[in-house]
Amino acid sequence: MILRKAKGLHIDGRKQMSKESPLHEHLNPQFVYIPLLQQTSALKRTVEVGDDIKIGQVVALREGFGAMPIHASISGKVTAIKKVWHCSGKMVEAIEIANDNQQRMADSIMPEADVTHFTREELIEKMKQAGLSGLGGAGFPTYVKYQTKSSIDVVIINAVECEPYLTCDYMLLNEYPEKLLKGLHYFMRAASAKRGVVCFKSYNKHIRESLQPLLQKYEGIELREIKDIYPAGWEKYIVQQVTGKTYEGLPAEAGAIVDNSATAMVFADVVEKNIPLISRVITITGEGISKPRNYYVPLGTPVKELIELSGGYINGLVHEKAWYIAGGPMTGRAILIDDLIVSDTLGAVIVKPMPDEKMHPECLGCGKCADVCPVFLTPTEIRRAYESKDVDAIKNLNAQKCMACGLCSYICPSHIEITDFVGKAKDLLRKGA
Amino acid sequence: MARFANGKAPFLRISDAKNAGTGVIMRDFMIGLLPVILFAWYKNGIKVYMDGNITFFEMLYPLIFILLGGLISTLFEGLFFYITDKNVRTLKALGAKLKVSYAIIPGLLLAMVLPLYTPIWVLMFGAFMGTIVGKMLFGGFGNNIFNPALLGYVAVGFTMMGVISNAGGLFNASEVLIDSYGGATPLGVLARTKAIDYNILVAPYGTLWNFLFGTIPGALAETGSLAIIIAYIWLAFRKVIKWFTPLIYVATVFILSWLIGISSGEAGLWFPVYSVLSGGLLFGAVFMATEPVTTPRNPLGKVVFALFLGVLTVLFRYIGNLPEGVGTSIIVMNLFTLPIDRMTAVVRANGVKKTTLVTTIGFSGLLIILAIYAILKVQTIYTALIPFFPIIREVF
Ligand code: SF4
Ligand code: SF4
Repeated sequence: MILRKAKGLHIDGRKQMSKESPLHEHLNPQFVYIPLLQQTSALKRTVEVGDDIKIGQVVALREGFGAMPIHASISGKVTAIKKVWHCSGKMVEAIEIANDNQQRMADSIMPEADVTHFTREELIEKMKQAGLSGLGGAGFPTYVKYQTKSSIDVVIINAVECEPYLTCDYMLLNEYPEKLLKGLHYFMRAASAKRGVVCFKSYNKHIRESLQPLLQKYEGIELREIKDIYPAGWEKYIVQQVTGKTYEGLPAEAGAIVDNSATAMVFADVVEKNIPLISRVITITGEGISKPRNYYVPLGTPVKELIELSGGYINGLVHEKAWYIAGGPMTGRAILIDDLIVSDTLGAVIVKPMPDEKMHPECLGCGKCADVCPVFLTPTEIRRAYESKDVDAIKNLNAQKCMACGLCSYICPSHIEITDFVGKAKDLLRKGA
Repeated sequence: MARFANGKAPFLRISDAKNAGTGVIMRDFMIGLLPVILFAWYKNGIKVYMDGNITFFEMLYPLIFILLGGLISTLFEGLFFYITDKNVRTLKALGAKLKVSYAIIPGLLLAMVLPLYTPIWVLMFGAFMGTIVGKMLFGGFGNNIFNPALLGYVAVGFTMMGVISNAGGLFNASEVLIDSYGGATPLGVLARTKAIDYNILVAPYGTLWNFLFGTIPGALAETGSLAIIIAYIWLAFRKVIKWFTPLIYVATVFILSWLIGISSGEAGLWFPVYSVLSGGLLFGAVFMATEPVTTPRNPLGKVVFALFLGVLTVLFRYIGNLPEGVGTSIIVMNLFTLPIDRMTAVVRANGVKKTTLVTTIGFSGLLIILAIYAILKVQTIYTALIPFFPIIREVF
């Protein structure tokens, strides 16, 4: 039906700037800060100030739903517990570890001689013990998805990276193509799935070139190009493209599990070498950075060091007139103090001078926001319901379905913060209901 | 440590680009008006001048009249800001404010749908009613319920029709000389005779081609069907208006008129074509039924809105005995914009379930059957309904 077709939108990627220089490893920051927060769960610290720490040692536990351990990313000594800026936009407590630069590994980290015998349960247990969580931005504990009761036909690797500016997934994949296939292979075994699909954006021909020759070694894995639109990386969209099915809650309903490509690559190391989730790739980019590029870093590395390695901010950047964005430009968050630390869900930091101020009229009522919404909401109506604090109407208008993709504000000719209004309406609904 | 600016996601906005945003939309809208204005000038000015029926200054008059409309509404709005808002008392602030509230548009559109010989003071009255009453008193741009230009038009229609006729009315200096017109517009003839007959409705004005090219009598700019179609293509292409709103509106009128023709024994396609091309239907469909502020926002709402417009227009034309049903229909439907928007937004967000689909189809089916039945019984129903329509009847 013409009125209910999710079209998505082509958005200028601006990815080139961070693709130009190769992936840079920065493995030994002086300090790392392990935040005591994962998703919205506060973590229980298991080490004290003064403790000696090895790489891969458990330093905190997530409890309750998605319980799993969190590991140290460098070796050294716990020197303090202090508050740091986290990409959620809040200050959170973190374990400060001073690096001894000796890279002492915990005993648990050792290569497996034989990986063929692991059962489904053992693989899922490995995910849990490795503290593996989605690196695409949501940070959802991976093992929880694999514990599903539904039967899974297909594991889908999301290498689409549809947010503009971001290249972290692409750069990692580019460096270690085979690792991705290994990770997917283990994921498929962990889900008892016969089929694995790697989804990537159509312009990344390079991915196909590097993966295709390796495919015959891995049974059941295929490649799939996805159109260059935003939000093509949205789980529902990808599942729909691959399986032709839609679902309400979790992809498992459609017989699918979706994982980010970087997560799969970490899982390859988890299975083969018992290295838990302790590092990731982050894109440092934006018009306000001298030399944008990607860094492979231990979790907890201060972003400031990476920006210095990138030549700092461009000359003449007026901080008060620039954004420091944690995450992608469409869904990320403005951080006020440039004192962020790298955590599992932080895929990028973008520094971007603000556009010139223009005078904008009231909402025209043009309806472009409703047109573009991938879940067929009418943001203007949700705003109206929010402004009259009409919780019932907000519910009827299905505001809770909004995935905060940001397209409505993106397209609005009148610069209305319409995404934000929908977000506030959702909050009201949560509180009111 | 440095402090950075706060902001809200997304950090990319189309409207931030130099060549995007509302400014561009308005520019494109103006470009869309251009062919229509030029045509109005040609038909009522240049051509009449070439016929030798008016002086050189009178040739410029149609253009001046339209621009004057824009100027007057801008002045009114500026004055309103100046009086009510202490912050916009400098010329610069005032200019910026007027630019983002599109003060010029209601006046321009109003002038375009008025008869050529409307006295300037009547134009001023209409602009006042449109801009001050219809727009500013509702809270200014973005909050008005009624299309300001149309409200001004309706107000003028209410009170000033006699004045306008005395001043010369609809017909330009060449048209009054044509005997076959008999001093009436095509829709006026239909309203008077109630006869669906090619020889009465179309022949006095030439052929249907004249209707398409716009060389028939009518308000200043509404007859230029071809110019309006060009404007439509441009506006739809530039995404200033949603392409399907005018199309659905016009198609509904087309189909219903055809049915009416058939029901009275006249199956020729000329009648629906005549219905679409005469009066302000195309002008209203392209420029008024798509006006963003006063019409539904979500696409489903726009579809419903346009369907109702079509049905109402036909009803008003054939039952309400209003030669011109377009303006009234749009004003009436403006009233329902908010509920339509809310209801369709809910339907759209929850997916079209079978039950909703069935009720919608049933409901609109009922509406159309009702309309057709009413139309078939034109004479009797008309007399029955007349007591309920005295106000609307007065309007046009
Ligand atoms: S919020 Fe923006 S996009 Fe939506 S109707 Fe208003 S002006 Fe148009
Ligand atoms: S942010 Fe929400 S309301 Fe806006 S387009 Fe995306 S899903 Fe729709």
